[in-house]
Amino acid sequence: MDLGVKSDAQDLVALMARVASRDRAAFAALYRQTQAKLYGVVVRIIQRRDLAGEILQEAYVRIWERAADFDPAKGSPIAWMATIARNRALDEARRVQPVALEDMPDGFDPPGEDVDPLSARQRSESLQALMRCLETLDPEKRQILLLAYYRGASREALAKRFDRPVPTIKTWLRRSLADLKDCLSS
Amino acid sequence: MSLSPDDDLAAAEYALGALDPAERAALAARRQREPDLDAAISAWERRLAPLAEAIAPVAPPRDFLAEIESRLDGAAIASAVVVDLTRRLRRWRAGAIAAGAVAAALAIGLGLRENMRAGLPHEYVAVLQKSADQPAFVVTVNIDARSLTVRPVAAPPQPDKAYELWLIDAKLGAPRSLGLLKQNAATASNVASYDPAVVENATYAVTIEPPGGSPTGKPSGAPVFVGKLIPTGP
Repeated sequence: MDLGVKSDAQDLVALMARVASRDRAAFAALYRQTQAKLYGVVVRIIQRRDLAGEILQEAYVRIWERAADFDPAKGSPIAWMATIARNRALDEARRVQPVALEDMPDGFDPPGEDVDPLSARQRSESLQALMRCLETLDPEKRQILLLAYYRGASREALAKRFDRPVPTIKTWLRRSLADLKDCLSS
Repeated sequence: MSLSPDDDLAAAEYALGALDPAERAALAARRQREPDLDAAISAWERRLAPLAEAIAPVAPPRDFLAEIESRLDGAAIASAVVVDLTRRLRRWRAGAIAAGAVAAALAIGLGLRENMRAGLPHEYVAVLQKSADQPAFVVTVNIDARSLTVRPVAAPPQPDKAYELWLIDAKLGAPRSLGLLKQNAATASNVASYDPAVVENATYAVTIEPPGGSPTGKPSGAPVFVGKLIPTGP
């Protein structure tokens, strides 16, 4: 599954259009092509496998319901689908007892090493642009931002992990995000 | 954009996922009624979304497709029922227009008056409709006889398609087909195989299907008309 490759991305755009027109066969094909990717998104935030499977199912129900809202001009299908899955996982993560970052089970690499299993050739232009901007951040602040994104780590969890006060983490996150926005629009 | 810089950064943190539960819930509620905030969150989601490309796939523990598909059937019906029905039912039941009066007004033109006058205690009527002024089918059910009759009122003709009626109730799990509906005449069916309490409380929904009915035994799409039974007796 090379979702970063252009022809696959175009296939997904075509599938999304068919799903938007209520094509169940297209939905099944979309599920087959993207389930492992979305499960990867969810399971990094929700480590409990029983909950992660439930959230994956709910995410695909939402994808079906909202398929008509997908706009290929605003991003790739996988990015759009991942956002839906991620939001659902984040809601659940905030509902259940938060897991401390220290307690995370084995098999989940720290995002620092985990962040880019794609070869450079497969990265989309938008990911390349984002990575370039992330590179301009201070390494510790970059790692905090990536942990928040990939693990859904709250300010409290980040504060413990990095041994900083919560307000400092909040300030750093906001500064980093503001810097990213400026960098991306420049 | 009238959004303050502080709100834009709150939107950024929301999209990132770093807010605590109370802040996250508060912002989720605000975005429902503040279009600027909603747009800011969406913009931040798009900015950060390419990061998801870098996430390595993880094979799910099993194939969830069949479960997801059965949820789609349920979700489509549930949302249609919520949107099309509950508000109207509430309106009927409230105020000067009693539910029975609405049913009666619709029933008069349909030859049901004799039944109404007889005050059969276990007769029910459901108006299946898309909106309050567009009744499409009227369902009458006699609980004692377990008989069900569906009369077209103003259902648009479907030349190359069929209307199929479904019984939907949480106790049944998946929607159950009650058969295809004639487009120009009453269709009689029976519900003898179902628990009377289910028949009484279920949602009745009509979908558009291929001429022979749904090939899968499940609704092929969202219902076009829905309704619930209302007692016609005293």
